[in-house]
Amino acid sequence: MSPGLRAVHYLNQFFGGVGGEEKASEGPQVKDGPIGPGGALQGLLKERGEIVATIICGDNYFAERTEKAVEEVLQMMTPYRPDMVIAGPAFNAGRYGMACGEVCKAAQGKLGIPAVTGMYEENPGVDLYKRAVYIVKTSDSARGMAEAASRMVNIALKLIAREKIGRPAEEGYFPRGIIRDERTDKSAAERAVSMVLAKIKGEPFEPEIELPKFDRVKPPAAIKDLASAKIALATDGGLVPRGNPDKMESYKSTRFASYNIKGVDSLSSKDFEANHIGYETEFIDQDPNRLVPLDVMRDLEKEGVIGKLHDKVYATAGVATSLANSKKIGQGIAEQLKADGVDGVILTST
Amino acid sequence: MRLELAILDIQDVQFGEKTTINDRVLYIHRQELRELLQQDKRLSKVDIELAHPGESCRILQVADVVEPRAKTKGSGEDFPGALGKQGTVGEGSTCVLRGVAVVINNQSEMHDMPEAEDPMGDIIDMSGPGAELSPYAKNHNVVVLPYPADGASPDDYKIALKIAGLKTAVYLAKAGRELEPDEGEVYDLPPLTEVTQGIEDLPKVAYLFQVYCTSYPAMVGEPILYGDNIRRLLPTIIHPNEVFDGAIVNTYQGRGTETYVIQNHPVIKDLYRRHGKELCFAGVILTVSRYTEPERERSVAMASNLAKSLLGADGVILTKASSGAPDIDVSQTAQRCEDMGIKAVLIMFGSESGIESGTVFNLPGAKAIVNTGNPFRLVSLPAVERIIGKPVILPSGVSADGELKKAPNWISGALDQEGHSKMVSVLY
Repeated sequence: MSPGLRAVHYLNQFFGGVGGEEKASEGPQVKDGPIGPGGALQGLLKERGEIVATIICGDNYFAERTEKAVEEVLQMMTPYRPDMVIAGPAFNAGRYGMACGEVCKAAQGKLGIPAVTGMYEENPGVDLYKRAVYIVKTSDSARGMAEAASRMVNIALKLIAREKIGRPAEEGYFPRGIIRDERTDKSAAERAVSMVLAKIKGEPFEPEIELPKFDRVKPPAAIKDLASAKIALATDGGLVPRGNPDKMESYKSTRFASYNIKGVDSLSSKDFEANHIGYETEFIDQDPNRLVPLDVMRDLEKEGVIGKLHDKVYATAGVATSLANSKKIGQGIAEQLKADGVDGVILTST
Repeated sequence: MRLELAILDIQDVQFGEKTTINDRVLYIHRQELRELLQQDKRLSKVDIELAHPGESCRILQVADVVEPRAKTKGSGEDFPGALGKQGTVGEGSTCVLRGVAVVINNQSEMHDMPEAEDPMGDIIDMSGPGAELSPYAKNHNVVVLPYPADGASPDDYKIALKIAGLKTAVYLAKAGRELEPDEGEVYDLPPLTEVTQGIEDLPKVAYLFQVYCTSYPAMVGEPILYGDNIRRLLPTIIHPNEVFDGAIVNTYQGRGTETYVIQNHPVIKDLYRRHGKELCFAGVILTVSRYTEPERERSVAMASNLAKSLLGADGVILTKASSGAPDIDVSQTAQRCEDMGIKAVLIMFGSESGIESGTVFNLPGAKAIVNTGNPFRLVSLPAVERIIGKPVILPSGVSADGELKKAPNWISGALDQEGHSKMVSVLY
């Protein structure tokens, strides 16, 4: 890591000492050396580097004309030939967080300069920028300045030195969504035993998987008059036409398909099979109605229990499919069902 | 129960005129072994091949891997119910040939793989990046290739395959029974009524072993637990030594586990290692994953109750069988245990989808999870000089001995549900 590292620091109007909310519409200005919290950063950098300039910009100015403001900020920093950009920390200030994220992202992307910022977990800037930019975790107010500064400088120095940056929990930043498989010296079984002992003793432990956040969907009102309702069948059991001509995925699905079953009373094993790696599909290959109960639905249609069976059957293979793709597929199917005036859908799963 | 493993360190395997062990080399009378295995009328013939660590060799269509083990005389039956007469195992002494594995090759069609991998099945590369991932690449592998007899049904063949592997494992290990072992391992755990004696203040940890999942129904006659196909098994307790010593054979469809892993069960080994020092090994509960109600609820309720009211566990470790549906049982069982005051930890495959994980549950009691790595990340494997198994061309046009990309899910031993692998998926 070369001595004399040149850093440019980005601050908003408040931390830059320009003023409060009333100065939020001020455009960017640049001053030599560190200002305000820059002093803490400089103190941590010591002789390894220097904050050569501080760029201060009003949060509203930035928010109201982001593209232009970013350009202006980049232009202001270029003459200082920075080796790195530090923005904020923004703590819980939303507009400030967005500006910090944007400045760092642009410095990296357009000028190739490593950048780091810091925010509180509820700052909207976190979710928007954590993948593109290292955002250290901070407290929700400036009382946490010292720790924030320390984390930011640590990451900044490692980025410059091209040193490996440790795990999010170790280095204090928000996970960026990059999964790496690594060798460990203790097997998963050993780590599990250690984890249960820690849990029993009330000691802290670090789960190795973050559970997904499922949203809650309010179910619509029940169908009051089934006898006049149009019902569709859908499945995530991987129903496909024999031979899988559309080359549907058998796991990690990214799409769905629909099959026209107008006038068809029963799914035939000559026409359909199951393409799914998560269960024994032989039983479905023998009789696809076991997966998508078309035969029974036709009976119910004829008996007048349901008004009409929709002409299309929807299918995908659910196994190992990501949450994001599952949502996309579900929404896609729902849109088509809605356009076709379907009142209810039976989703058979495996 | 006290079990002693009499371990022989085998450094090479060759064909020879007699099946015997000399100077750490296992010699196999190929024809004698073939004739033994060919007695099974469900098979037309059986080939035997050898693969050694470091060879440019790829074993295809791996159905299971078994460690050669045989009970010493008077110690009980080998794989009772599956091979041997009914009885229990887990006591006395068992001869183990370490450094050797029996790899069973499956010549029938596979259904449980994406089309692109279908004909190649699970593989073991004996050298290169694939070998670095799999512990089986470090063994001298005796590959058994049984062929179905005309008229044998697919299920008949699948069971015959498994039996051929078990028979081979026993046959080979018998060659070591009279010899002085190179090392010994002792597994000694008293009955539950005595296990806490002298260590009353150590936390009691139990292991919930989900041994199979009904998403892939066991075949009629498929030996899993003492020869039973356990389709209707309700949660039960079993001595850990029984698990090691041949009571449990991995199910035909059991992805992510081989009989070899069960024989060397990593969770059980670690609980034994720490027993009396950091914890009290409170016992093992066997479960089967169910995906219909009331079966699943019944299994969750019974298993957690066994942990609480019979084993008195303070903490439990849960592992699952392959497939997605088992995620539901294990997480619900973990939650139920937590509700009853037992701390739960799960071992699961890692995810690959970035910040959001691929697990299908989000229960507060099931958050303590250890992961075994990402099953679907692609690893580039080089071309090899030799393949063992059915030579196939993939739909992409690549032949099985060529350069290919394979995910750990289909490299035998690379990942396992029981947590033996030393890989972890880390979110950065």
